[in-house]
Amino acid sequence: MTGHIWRNPLYFWGVEGAEKEVPSIPHKSPQDVWDETTTSKAPMLPVGRLRYYYKWPGHGGLTWPRFRYWGTRRRALNIRSVYNPKTMRLEKTIVDKRPIWWVLGLLAFMLAPLVMPTSFQNTLLTAGATFSIYAAINLCWMLIIGTAGIYSLASYAVVGAAAFGTSWLSINLGLPWWALPLVGAGIGLVFGMIIAVPAIRLDGFYYALLTIGLNELCRVYTLQSKQFGSSTGGLYGADTYIPQGWDQYDQSLLAYYACFGVMLAGLALYRFIDGRRLGRILKMAPEKREAFAEATGVDFRRARIWVFVISSIGLGFIGGFYAAHYRGVSFSIFSFDTVLLGLAMLVIGGIGRAEGAVVGTAIVILLDKVLLSTGPLRLILIGLIMLGVVLFLKGGLFGIKAQFRAWRDKKKSERRSMRAEKGGEMLPEEATETKDKDLLYWRRYDKMQREFLKTVISPELIEEHRKKPLGQHSEPLERLLLYFRRAPQNDKYAIVAVEPFKAYRIVALSGQRGVAPRIVEDKIYTSTDEAYHGVFLRRVQDLLES
Amino acid sequence: MDVGFILTNAIVLACIYGTLAIGLSITWSSVGLINLGYGFIFALSGYGAWLASQYISTNGVVVLTAGVLTGALGGLLVCALAFIPIHDKPNFTVRGLIATLAISLIGTQALLYVFGPRSKNLPDIFGFWKINLAGIVLTSDKIGNVVVSIVVVTAVLLWMRSSRRGLEIRAMMMNPHAASIVGIGVRKTGFYVMAITGGLAGLAAVLLSQTYYISPFGGLAPMIKGVSIALCGGLGSVRGAVIAAIILGLNEALTARLLGGQYVLITQFILIILILLVRPRGIAGILDRAREA
Amino acid sequence: MSAPVAAQPAAPAERREILKVKGLSAGYGPMRVIHDLDLSVYSGERVGIVGLNGHGKSTLFYAIAGLTGWQRGSILLNGVEVGRTRSQGPGRYTHLVVRQGLALIPQGDEIFHGLTVEEHLDSGAFTPRAWKERKERKEKILKIFPPLVKLLKTPVGRLSGGERRMVSIGRGLMADASLFLVDEPSLGLAPKIGKGVMEALFDVELGQSAMIIAEQNVALLEGRVDRVIGMHVGKLKGEASASLSFQTRREL
Repeated sequence: MTGHIWRNPLYFWGVEGAEKEVPSIPHKSPQDVWDETTTSKAPMLPVGRLRYYYKWPGHGGLTWPRFRYWGTRRRALNIRSVYNPKTMRLEKTIVDKRPIWWVLGLLAFMLAPLVMPTSFQNTLLTAGATFSIYAAINLCWMLIIGTAGIYSLASYAVVGAAAFGTSWLSINLGLPWWALPLVGAGIGLVFGMIIAVPAIRLDGFYYALLTIGLNELCRVYTLQSKQFGSSTGGLYGADTYIPQGWDQYDQSLLAYYACFGVMLAGLALYRFIDGRRLGRILKMAPEKREAFAEATGVDFRRARIWVFVISSIGLGFIGGFYAAHYRGVSFSIFSFDTVLLGLAMLVIGGIGRAEGAVVGTAIVILLDKVLLSTGPLRLILIGLIMLGVVLFLKGGLFGIKAQFRAWRDKKKSERRSMRAEKGGEMLPEEATETKDKDLLYWRRYDKMQREFLKTVISPELIEEHRKKPLGQHSEPLERLLLYFRRAPQNDKYAIVAVEPFKAYRIVALSGQRGVAPRIVEDKIYTSTDEAYHGVFLRRVQDLLES
Repeated sequence: MDVGFILTNAIVLACIYGTLAIGLSITWSSVGLINLGYGFIFALSGYGAWLASQYISTNGVVVLTAGVLTGALGGLLVCALAFIPIHDKPNFTVRGLIATLAISLIGTQALLYVFGPRSKNLPDIFGFWKINLAGIVLTSDKIGNVVVSIVVVTAVLLWMRSSRRGLEIRAMMMNPHAASIVGIGVRKTGFYVMAITGGLAGLAAVLLSQTYYISPFGGLAPMIKGVSIALCGGLGSVRGAVIAAIILGLNEALTARLLGGQYVLITQFILIILILLVRPRGIAGILDRAREA
Repeated sequence: MSAPVAAQPAAPAERREILKVKGLSAGYGPMRVIHDLDLSVYSGERVGIVGLNGHGKSTLFYAIAGLTGWQRGSILLNGVEVGRTRSQGPGRYTHLVVRQGLALIPQGDEIFHGLTVEEHLDSGAFTPRAWKERKERKEKILKIFPPLVKLLKTPVGRLSGGERRMVSIGRGLMADASLFLVDEPSLGLAPKIGKGVMEALFDVELGQSAMIIAEQNVALLEGRVDRVIGMHVGKLKGEASASLSFQTRREL
């Protein structure tokens, strides 16, 4: 609140009735308002965009050797080269670095036996073999859950059925070990056909529940039948690919690499289904969007049967290998906990991506093996991790990046939408359309002025105007009147003398030549001063309402 | 193995599994959650009833009430963990399903950790007496099971039909968006629903423990049966669930009589698959065609 | 500032501020639909909001009910702050807002297909006070919409569009609300039926409550509401009393 004294510039000109200084009504200085408005309130954030990618230098005149996979036009790495507009140099960006991570990770896994400490060697090799088998199973399962988007929980049932079938055949008919995966693949094919049929008709959750039931059915059936060794807790004694004559370390090493090979095969299968035509079709027709996919000419039913058949063959193959690896199979493969652990692996890694399946498997197997001594506690821990991942992450561990970016963008746009100011300023949509950009700034200024003048109005001020509508006023009143005088012609208030010196009336100008002013109110004022004050009150009211 | 014995057995089991199925059905249709933690709630309430019988009293009413209350508590737990945090997030149905599976994993392992793998049995809450009805011997537990489950389920259904909370739950079943507009709190109603269905699971657990034992993993098989009945009847349809319970109970009895016990699950699943292939939404789809649209 | 207020035409003493929206912005995701909007509605008032498609009429209603993706700004309903700065969970607090005395009659058919008409009307009265006197309220509604009397036991899924709209509006009117938000009551109905529905809305005795009706068709509102407010790209434009709406229409 400043400006308690208002110096009259007219005083020195000897105007009649002018006083040198008039005490003004306390009010906020317009300078303060101006300063407040013009200072930047935007936080000084670092300008520009973060570089998400490392820029490799271009190699002079040489282009990078572009390796292509044999027989395809596919390159090993997706590299984008752009000329930097400032330096005019070629810069290269690796858009998708996942192949590098895959190669490094698989190499590390392959070379891991060389650096394993001898005391844990056996445990680690066994754990690695287990991990590889489960990763292969999960990759096949991921084709159904992730690519096709069908929540089938019967994958372990397929594996188990193939393993039980081949073990039984191997024990009773003496099938050699190399035939087990092949026969298993056949069993898987039959099983896949069986579970594919309901998938065409049923909704996701009906199907999920049905497959849990199938799993339980397999468990109960094998548990009750004597042929499958209900007394021994499983079926053991199948032929194995591991020569029994070798010493322990060599056996473990062979098993490790054999399982690694199966996992590689699983990865290749995943790549060839998910990344190609069948995968595209399946991803076009997820749950609840089948109708749209069908309308665009996609035969999703056939694609679903295909993916079931292919992944079931894969699962059956792994089942046969499982039997040949462990020399048999136990009932635990059908148990609900196995399904849950498998699902935990997929969920923790992130559904719908190969790296999710593999890394999730690694995490769960690691926890399982490391904490083996704690008994049920380790399962509780895995369950907690699974719960946490489901509650907080949209797409598992590998979805964190995308989720974080989505969150950041949402926050950004919310903040941006909050920043626009109020009042005369134009809306974003209007501002882009208007030709006269000056109008934007004029409105902004006008709004600031109106906001300031609203703070100035007080009963004393109105009283001051009532006493003396014309002549010298205090500073705030003077500012207010100046603003009113500058108003545009249309809808500006004017006074009409109905009868000079006796009756006056307030009208509003039309702002157009030849169009008569319209009458605003019926009230008749008896003197000019009263009419002036009436106009003033109307304008004040309009200002307060704007 | 005479027909009457098998038939009464089937009816008893149908009643109990029907109770479970109706609970599952209500959960799915009102809060949109496939509660696969139901087996855990089942086992939990069995243990709750067992604790009550050990430390409080072996009176049937006390044991039954304890079971139902623990079940309701389990339902609230599942609701707080799997429904409240994610019910308005994307992919809720899938994430909810997986969350309930995780709860089931944690819960059963915790039960195993606390109570050990040895199974427990409850006292006979209906006493020992039998009635000979036209050559069929009805023992007290069978009659008690049937009567209690039918009475409780009917009471719950009547309550849902007539009371205000029931109206809220049914309104939320049909259109959750409109429900929030008329002033139904989705979260609060979710707690009600889960408590009720949990209570139903607890009831089924106590009743079933008259025949079977209580063990940490004992909830799985009843849940599968309940799920298959709910599936067969059509998720969300109580009438369908009742009919499906009767059909599947009959099937169980007939298969056990004609083919042998180990084929029960197989024929049951063939039946369910057939029904679902004809009507992808179960018997409810046959009952009223309007729902399918 | 008491003098300019006194200079205004004297307000009736019982005029209570039912709704006071100040600086409301709302939208979905990166899209901002409502831009910094102010609105006051007094008791006993019937306000019409007119605007084209996609200019935020429905979003304004949804924002008042807390059903938009995100929102900022203050909403006072009966003097209780119901608008909060919120960026997730649309509909999480709606039932609390409704309990403060809001009845939203949304656009289109937000109905419960399986419930009968009677249950439907009951479902409108979930606030504790309304639940106790739902019989009288139902009778009142049936007086407004006589065609519903015959249909009381029919599931709503079997009704025609006009009847559904009647049920939907009836459900809204069942509530013990002080603010009724009616979103495009005539949308998708034959002109005659639409007019009938509008008439019914105009005939509702408001008492101490207020009603906001959103419409695209000014002609349906003309002369029947106390104020008509235009809505243009997320802001309110040009307020006029209903008698003036003829003259101001060009600017809307």
